[in-house]
Amino acid sequence: MGADGAPSQSVPWRKVLWERQPFPDNYVDQRFLEELRRNEGIREYRYWAVVKEASLVGQQLSCVAIFITFWLYMEQGLLAPETLLWTSLVCGLLGYGLYQAFTSQTDSCSETRTHLADLQSAALFLSFTFGFSPVLKTLTESVSTDTVYAMSAVMLLAHLVSFPYGEPSPPGSLSLNAALFASVCLASRLPGALHTFAMLSCALLVFALWPCLLQRLRENSPLQFTGVCVGVCTGGVGGLASQSLGGAVLLSLAVVSVTFLCPLLLVWLQRHKDNIHGPWDEAEICEDLSHFLH
Amino acid sequence: MGQRRRAGAVKTLSSERDSADVARICNRKHNICMVSDFFYPNMGGVESHIYQLSQCLIEKGHKVVIATHAYGRRRGVRYLTNGLKVYYLPLQVMYSQSTATTCVHSLPLLRCVFVREQITVVHAHSSFSSMAHDALFHAKTMGLNTVFTDHSLFGFADLSSVLTNKLLTITLCDTNHIVCVSYTSKENTVLRAVLNPEIVSVIPNAVDPTDFTPDPSQRPADRITIVVISRLVYRKGIDLLGGIIPELCLKHPDLHFLIGGEGPKRLVLEEVREKYQLHDRVRLLGALEHKDVRGVLVQGHIFLNTSLTEAFCMAIVEGASCGLQVVSTRVGGIPEVLPDDLITLCEPTVRSLCDGLEQVIAKQRSDSFPSPASIHNRVRNLYTWKNVAERTEKVYDKVVGEEVLPLAKRLRRLRSHCGPVAGSIFAFVAMLDFLFLLLLQWLLPDRFMDVAVDATGPHGLWRQKTSRKKFD
Repeated sequence: MGADGAPSQSVPWRKVLWERQPFPDNYVDQRFLEELRRNEGIREYRYWAVVKEASLVGQQLSCVAIFITFWLYMEQGLLAPETLLWTSLVCGLLGYGLYQAFTSQTDSCSETRTHLADLQSAALFLSFTFGFSPVLKTLTESVSTDTVYAMSAVMLLAHLVSFPYGEPSPPGSLSLNAALFASVCLASRLPGALHTFAMLSCALLVFALWPCLLQRLRENSPLQFTGVCVGVCTGGVGGLASQSLGGAVLLSLAVVSVTFLCPLLLVWLQRHKDNIHGPWDEAEICEDLSHFLH
Repeated sequence: MGQRRRAGAVKTLSSERDSADVARICNRKHNICMVSDFFYPNMGGVESHIYQLSQCLIEKGHKVVIATHAYGRRRGVRYLTNGLKVYYLPLQVMYSQSTATTCVHSLPLLRCVFVREQITVVHAHSSFSSMAHDALFHAKTMGLNTVFTDHSLFGFADLSSVLTNKLLTITLCDTNHIVCVSYTSKENTVLRAVLNPEIVSVIPNAVDPTDFTPDPSQRPADRITIVVISRLVYRKGIDLLGGIIPELCLKHPDLHFLIGGEGPKRLVLEEVREKYQLHDRVRLLGALEHKDVRGVLVQGHIFLNTSLTEAFCMAIVEGASCGLQVVSTRVGGIPEVLPDDLITLCEPTVRSLCDGLEQVIAKQRSDSFPSPASIHNRVRNLYTWKNVAERTEKVYDKVVGEEVLPLAKRLRRLRSHCGPVAGSIFAFVAMLDFLFLLLLQWLLPDRFMDVAVDATGPHGLWRQKTSRKKFD
């Protein structure tokens, strides 16, 4: 044994097991690892392209901040629930119109959902929320306020973590549920049933419908998408600044680091990427085999 | 390290009792403990490898014991053929027959086995087995030489392989010698565990040729049968098989499929069979016992393997040994296993596999293949357990002469070899392990531990007559 004791025969070593070769078992040939391939099919990231994609994360962060700002205003009685409801209604109709415009731009006939169906689900949701808002209002009465706040914070965090940033439409079920749970918790601490109703409608608008519109915007007009993201971020920071300066500073720091520093880090670390491939990799089935079944 | 010397003292003490004992110990070179989570009643490549290798080593006069975890009610000490002793240790199973690992808790039990059996070489199997990793770690703490056999290939890309590879780097950083089953597997292991390739030997798996003999009379004359024997799981490429079956069955009305094995992908095959109404031509046999495999193989003309990854692939050797034409995907170590004229290699796509099979079917129809008996005669001597045992014995001979790193050097090596973070953490664990060993040795010193009665009987009396003649 001993690799250095390899005989200097004229027979070249072959990478086969079925032939007994005049080499020791631990022999290392020149051709060892010759099939190793590095960084195959790697994706090169460009900084500004990554920043553009990352702006969605900053935007979502600001959305949460905007929602919290509304809630703070409502809680202190600075914002009447009627005002919020009317604003939500106008925004919702405006957004719906835009959404329809984008839809008709891209595909004309593939969507079978009618306006009537949309109206139906909106009416259903609003009437149920309105009917249940007194119940929701008293839902957490027996729970201490600190617990409710902590729970909301955790749930909003869960919303941010589990949000499907790659494909925000439709919003993922976990992220949407976490956000709505947080809104119910927060809304139940407001002074009246109408407040609760207004807050929940607002939550629906911000967490469920806005991502759908944003996705359409991203697909159809990337330029406006960037503008909207910047707008939402400014709005979030500005809104929070009117209530808590420290919070606004923290938010702006978070947004800046997520949209500018993290992409920088990604592009910089890209150079250190060392991916190895070789004959030992598990083969991937690239074809679509489902047609054999269906 | 004092613990080693003490173990040696026990050995001399016990052998002084009986002069015949001295002869016995001199006669036998190594006391080997095979450790793996995977052993009978679990069935598979690793399990049969451990069993067959142990049997051959016992026949060569070594002492072999096996340590595995308890399988249900099967716990404690059991004896298999030729006095092969198996310790089923009560360790908690965590996931797919692999035990939970804490790097420390299995030390008392494994120490007991190593001391009582006077083990000189610890041979761990399979990187999926956390018990094997534990044993390598403890063996080093106790000052024993270690060998590790890797049976599988691993990627580098996903999180689970990153973690497993780190664990492998740590446990193999002071392992004396590593055995891989193919050259591809060696390249893979060397990269995964950052090893010096010269301490890695390639010793292929083997197949018992007497179990797999051809019998062409079992083949129905009016049809061509393709046999597939594998677990029906994604990694075995069963989805590809689901695409091949309708393609070929439409083209060749006399083609039949015989599929042995069980698994979650059985559904795919059943759906295909249902959709194309192939109930009479595609037979799903379900799980097969090892003794029934030959009976299924001899009914076929062609053996098909669609694996997506494979370190060695015993199945194709078994197929060829039964005289079948082998068609397989070109993945992992498969191209190394059989000479080109006995195997048709294809890319892992439905198209390529169908083309390969069509060629073989056409040749089969024109009868241009050598007879099953001549194929069997070529394959029967390629891979034998006797050869595996001889080569493994050489590894043991080399390993026992090597020095085991003392604790200080071992800690330094862990930290220099495994990176600053993981290296430091495991250097700390190695310290803990050592202190735990000292505690155990204080609670129950090695010299008070009974030496186990040899499973081959006093003076090897229970060993088979044939092997006694060879070695006495």
